[in-house]
Amino acid sequence: MIQTPHGYIRAAEREDAPALARLYDPEYPRAALLDAKREPIMPTEDEVRELLSRKEVQQGVLYAVEDTAGVVCGFCSVRGVNPEAGFGETSLLFLADATYETPLAEDALGFVLERAFERQRLRKLLANGLDGETALKQFLLGHGFESSGVQRNALYSLGQWHNLEVFTRFAG
Amino acid sequence: MPPSLTSFIRRADRDDLDTIVGWVEDPDFARFLYGDPARSPRQVREQIVSMLGRTAGHTMPGGIYLMIDSKEHGPIGLLSLQHISWRNRCCSVDFYIGKKELRNGIVAGMAAYRTLEYCFDELNLHRVQAYIYAFNRASWRLLEMTGAVRELTLREHVSRDGKLYDVYGYGLLRHEFEVFRERVGRMRGVSLQDMVRALEEAAPEGGGAGAESSA
Repeated sequence: MIQTPHGYIRAAEREDAPALARLYDPEYPRAALLDAKREPIMPTEDEVRELLSRKEVQQGVLYAVEDTAGVVCGFCSVRGVNPEAGFGETSLLFLADATYETPLAEDALGFVLERAFERQRLRKLLANGLDGETALKQFLLGHGFESSGVQRNALYSLGQWHNLEVFTRFAG
Repeated sequence: MPPSLTSFIRRADRDDLDTIVGWVEDPDFARFLYGDPARSPRQVREQIVSMLGRTAGHTMPGGIYLMIDSKEHGPIGLLSLQHISWRNRCCSVDFYIGKKELRNGIVAGMAAYRTLEYCFDELNLHRVQAYIYAFNRASWRLLEMTGAVRELTLREHVSRDGKLYDVYGYGLLRHEFEVFRERVGRMRGVSLQDMVRALEEAAPEGGGAGAESSA
């Protein structure tokens, strides 16, 4: 577990299943939780628990972000690493949008950047956000990410098409 | 009749293996392919075998691989539709012209046209997307001519020959393709229905090429 100025970050565990399952909210699709075809999935809590039991997750692909009281507020990760071209994809997911405006979100981002740029020596990080993820997108733009463009009508959900914006931040 | 007007698309099968391997082993061709360029010939061959085996003749597959064929020239290229989402009515498309002498010009244009026509008219998709290396100007220019919009610019996103290159993400929506088709007009003799009809006429009694056609 890593203590940050405003909370804790640790590898996600089976016990985090209820918090992670809450993020798979069909009313609030999140780009980072879409599958390879960019389709939303609706896992049960048991399935999420099973996912969190996998070796690769336990080895640190997904991290839980806790506040100072030890309450899980969200998750972060660096995944989809392409070693040849030196980039990966990050996700920063918080249960409440308001958390993006707190220093805890900056702690989580700092953790992700250190993992990606220092430990894994990546050159750049990508992040995705759907139309409705306004808080996430504002947070990314305010912290060194720039928009690489918008894929139009990338997801059909809640009876309408949603656009997906891609963000990039280079190391250094 | 030039091959551009008589070409058609069909399901890729195992008989196409040697043709595709031949294309992939050509460095000029391989440069434009996704994947690690350091793959061994054996890995490439196994990947192609696996790919051909996955091409479903029906149901709702997640990926479709088709050959771009021509009566005069034989197999011309390979068409790959991947990450087909039947929910989002979207897919990623790649098409490769294997015969170097046919890579530029009208043959590539017709291959793109048939690909898009298949996606929108047969698969009933809403959106077709493609990721194209910035140095592959001929391909992205061709796609732009169909009305596709450059939606993404992923800087320094792919490594080739020790250098990093940008990758462009293009998206084409159904209504944009229809505007394009309206503009160029329905080209007589090249619609998908006409291709199927031509295949059926060419096929022997009881099947043959017509029955093999994915269209």
